[in-house]
Amino acid sequence: MRNVGIIGVGYTPVFVSKRKDVNIPEMISEAVDAAFRNTKLTPDDIDAITFGNMQTFEGVNMPHLWAADHMRALDKPYMRIATGGTTGMSTLHSAYYHVASGLHDVVMAITWEKQSEGDSQVGLSGIVMPEAMVMVQHGMDLFGGKGMGAMGGGSTGAAAYQAMSYLHHSGADPEHIDKMAALERSNAALNPYAHLRKKTTVADIQATPFVSWPLRFGHTCPTSDGATVAIVASEEMVEKLADSVAWINGVGCATSDPATVNFIEGQITDPAEQEPARMASSKAYAMAGIKDPSKEIDMAEMYNGFAHQSLMWLEKLGLCKEGEAHKMLDAGALNIDGELPTNASGGVFSTNAIGASAMNRPTECALQIMRKIEGGHQIPKKIKNAVSHGWGGMFQYVTVTVLGDEPRHGQG
Amino acid sequence: MQRDIAIVAQAQVMTDSLDIPRERMLFDLVKGLFDKVGITRHDIDGFVLNSNDFEVGHTIANVFEDTPCGAYMKDETHVEADGMWAAQYTTMRLLSGNYDTALVVGNSSGASTFRPYLVMDYQLNPTYDRQLGILNELSTAALQARAYMAKYGAEEDDFNEIAARLLRNAALNPYAVRSKADATAGDVLASDYLYEPLRQLACYPFTDGACAMILASGKRAKELTDKPVWIKGMGNSVDTYYVGERDLATSKSARMAGERAYKLAGISNPAKQIDVAEVSAKFAYQEPIISEALGLFKEGSAGKVASKGLADLGGSMPVCPSGGGLGAYVFTANGLVRVAECVRQLKGEAGEAQVSGAKTALAHSQDGFCAQHNGVMVLSTEEG
Amino acid sequence: MSAQQERIVATAVVPLDFTYNYRVGQYVERYIKGLGQKKIMGVKCPGDASVIVPPRKYCGRCNEIMNEWVEVGPEGTIENFTIAHVNLNKGVVEKADTEYIVALVKLDGATSLLPAKVLGVSPVDVEVGMRVKAVFKDPVEDSLEDLSHFEPAG
Repeated sequence: MRNVGIIGVGYTPVFVSKRKDVNIPEMISEAVDAAFRNTKLTPDDIDAITFGNMQTFEGVNMPHLWAADHMRALDKPYMRIATGGTTGMSTLHSAYYHVASGLHDVVMAITWEKQSEGDSQVGLSGIVMPEAMVMVQHGMDLFGGKGMGAMGGGSTGAAAYQAMSYLHHSGADPEHIDKMAALERSNAALNPYAHLRKKTTVADIQATPFVSWPLRFGHTCPTSDGATVAIVASEEMVEKLADSVAWINGVGCATSDPATVNFIEGQITDPAEQEPARMASSKAYAMAGIKDPSKEIDMAEMYNGFAHQSLMWLEKLGLCKEGEAHKMLDAGALNIDGELPTNASGGVFSTNAIGASAMNRPTECALQIMRKIEGGHQIPKKIKNAVSHGWGGMFQYVTVTVLGDEPRHGQG
Repeated sequence: MQRDIAIVAQAQVMTDSLDIPRERMLFDLVKGLFDKVGITRHDIDGFVLNSNDFEVGHTIANVFEDTPCGAYMKDETHVEADGMWAAQYTTMRLLSGNYDTALVVGNSSGASTFRPYLVMDYQLNPTYDRQLGILNELSTAALQARAYMAKYGAEEDDFNEIAARLLRNAALNPYAVRSKADATAGDVLASDYLYEPLRQLACYPFTDGACAMILASGKRAKELTDKPVWIKGMGNSVDTYYVGERDLATSKSARMAGERAYKLAGISNPAKQIDVAEVSAKFAYQEPIISEALGLFKEGSAGKVASKGLADLGGSMPVCPSGGGLGAYVFTANGLVRVAECVRQLKGEAGEAQVSGAKTALAHSQDGFCAQHNGVMVLSTEEG
Repeated sequence: MSAQQERIVATAVVPLDFTYNYRVGQYVERYIKGLGQKKIMGVKCPGDASVIVPPRKYCGRCNEIMNEWVEVGPEGTIENFTIAHVNLNKGVVEKADTEYIVALVKLDGATSLLPAKVLGVSPVDVEVGMRVKAVFKDPVEDSLEDLSHFEPAG
C-alpha cells in the first residue's frame, strides 16, 4: 500500500458561536487559504478535493456545489462525504483513499460547519425520525421531559444515559467528569483555534446546573462556526513538496446500529458499549503496526461532545484497561505534560463546528507530530504515534486514524 | 490502475409509489443480492452507503440504512452526492489494497417522501438565488436547452425525438417506472410546456428506488462470478455553480470527466471503442450535450443523431438502452443505476434491450443545476 | 411492489420549513446596499478581468480574490431566456396565471449573466439580443428585491 501523509493544515482564524461577517463559502475559504499559506502550495498543486459537513444544519443541500469556486475546486475531481459526527474524519479518510488508490497524489480535505445559520438541535433531533421534525414544527418541546429529549433526541438526552452507564461500569465518580472538563477547558484556553477559551477549575464546572443527570451544562460542547482543511500527499510528493509531514499509518471505521432507538424500544444496546470503537481502532492499529496501544501511543485526541467521553474512549480504544482512565486522570497522566496527553486541543468539548470536529482530532495530532502547534498547548515530549478518534451518527459510528512521525514500513 | 477491480453483481428496485418502508426495500434488495451471489454480509469487507438527508427526511441519512444493508458491526462510510461518486469511492478503497470485497448501496424516495424540485431548490445559493425565486430545476434546465438550440441551431423536435426513443427503450426495461413502447415525437409534443422548450414528457419521472452492487478485487471477483465486469477507468470534474458563467450549450466538466476516465482506460476514440453508453440525463435535451462532451458524437449533432437513429438500440452508438433518466430517475442512486445498467449489458443480461456483442460500456452521472458536476466510469468484459 | 399489508406511518414531507439565518457575507451585503441607491454593483477579477454580478469573493477560474468594485448596467442585453408556463411552489408545479419570461441578462459592463424576470414585453415578442433596463422598487427597501425586474429599454 502507498504511504500517505498530512503535509499541512488550515483553520479558519477563529471558531466562534456566530460568524456574522461572512457567508458559508467565504468562511470555508478562509481555512482553504490558510492551508495554502501554511504549505506554500497553490490550487494548481491539488489533484482532487473531498468535502464534508452535515447539510441539514445549514439547510443547504450539497453545499459543495455552491461553494465550488471558493473551494478552488473548478475542473478538479470533487467528492462529498457525510457521516454525521464522524464526517470530518470520514472526509479525511476519503482523501486518504484518493491517494492510496494510486489515482491521485495531492488531495485537499475540506470540513466545516456554520451552525449559527440553523438550529443544530433541530438538526440533531431530525436524526431520530421525520416525526420529530413534525413535532418541532408544531412547537413541541424537544428537550424537556415531555418531548424528544426524554427519548434521546437532541444529543444531551441520549448522552446522559451513556454517561450513567460509563460511570457504573468504570467505577468513576461524577467528579471525574468535572475534572476532565476542567482539564480540557484549560487546555483550550491555550489553543487559539478553540472556541471556549477560559482557564477553568473543577469548582467552575461544578457551579453549572445539571442538564440531565449526571451531565452538567459545564460538561457539554458548544456549537461553533468554523472550518478545517488538511492536505494529504503520497510519499513521493511529500518528498517534493513538504517541509514536514505526519504520516497516516492506520485508518479504521465501523458502525453499530442506532443505539438510542433500541434503547427506547427496550432492546439490549447500551450506548456506552461502543463496540465499533474496538473494531475501528483494532483495524487502524494493525495497519500501523501497533501491537500494544497502551504502550506505543504517545497522545490521544478523542471525540467528546460531552466530558465523560474522553475517559470512556481511552478505555474503548485500548489506551488503558477498562476502569482505569479516571485513575490516569487523577495521576495527571492525561495532562499536556503527562504520559498520555489527551485532548491537548481542548477537544470537541471546547470547539464544535460539527462537520470539522472529527477532522480537528487528526489535524491536532498532525500538528503536534510536526511540532507546528500555534499557542501554548504543544506537547513537550516527542510524539512518535498518535491516535485520533471520531464518533457520530446515532451513537453508532466510530472512525480512527493513527498518525506517526515515520511512514509505515513493510506492512501489507 | 494499481489493481484490477471488477463489479461482481448488481441489483435494482424502482417504483413510482413505494408501499413498504424504505428500510424494508433496502433489506430485500441487499439480501436478495447476497443470495444471488451466494455470500453473506460477513463476506463484505467494506460498505459504502449513498443517500441524502434532504431526500431521506432525517439528519445523517445512513443512520437507519446500515442495518438493513447488512453493515451492522461492519466497516461503513457514506457518500452524500450522486451514486457515481459512491461507486468511484468504493473502487478507490478496493484499489488501495485495504479491502477485497465491497458493497455499495444507494437509495432515495423521490416519488413518495420528498419533492425532487424542492430538494433542488435547497441546492440554490441561499444568499441570493434561493431568495429570488426565479431559478429552479426546471427554469435552469430550460435555459440550458435554449443555449444548445441557439448555439447549434437545434430544434425542439430533436429533443422530442430523443425523449420518444428513451420512452420506447424504457418499455424494454423491467425497472423503468414510465415508458411507452410506441412513443413518438408527436406524443412528447402533445405534452404540456413547463418552461419552454421543456415539455412534461421530456422530464424525468419521480421515482422511489435503490441500487446495490458488489465490487471486488480481481481474484475475489473471479471466485464470485463467471462474468466479472472490469472497471477500466473513472473520473469526475466540477464546473462553477453559477449558470450565468458557464457555456450551457456544452459541458466542460463532462468533457474533463470523460478525458480522465478514457486516459485510465486507454481509450483514444470513444465513439469507436465504446459499445454502449448510459448517460445520465434528467431531461431529454441533456443527452446530446453530455454525450457530445464525452466524445460519443460530434458537437451540435443532436438533429442528425436523431434522424439517423445513431443512438438507437441498433445504431452505431447506442445511448441509454435502459431508457435512462426518462424511464426512471432515482435521485442520488441514479449514478449507480447507470453503472448497473452497463453491468447488465456487459453480462449479456439486458434482455430485449441487449446491445449485441457489447464489450466496453460507459456510465455517466451528474449532480447540480445544468449538470454542474459530472462523473464517468468505463467498464469492460476484458480483464487487465 | 408486494407486501401491501405493511403500513406506512411516516408521511411527513421533508424538508420542513425551518428558519435559517443565512448571513449574506460582505459581498452580497455591499450589493444590496448598492441596490438601495439604485445601482448594480459587480466585482472585477484581477485574473481575467471578468466582471461578476452578483458579486462574490472568489473567481474560481483564476483562483483570485475579486475586490475591485464596479458599477454595471442598469441597461443590458437578453442573452438567453425561457418562457415559463408554470410556477414551482415549494417543489410543486402549479400552472402560471399568465406566461412570463425568465432571462439571463448581460448587464452593460458585466461579463456574467444575471438571472432576471423580464416584464413589459409579450412572451411572443421577446428575443435574444433585446435591450432591457433594470427597474427598481420605489421606494427601495434595502433588500435583494429592490432590483425588481427588467423591462425593454428605450
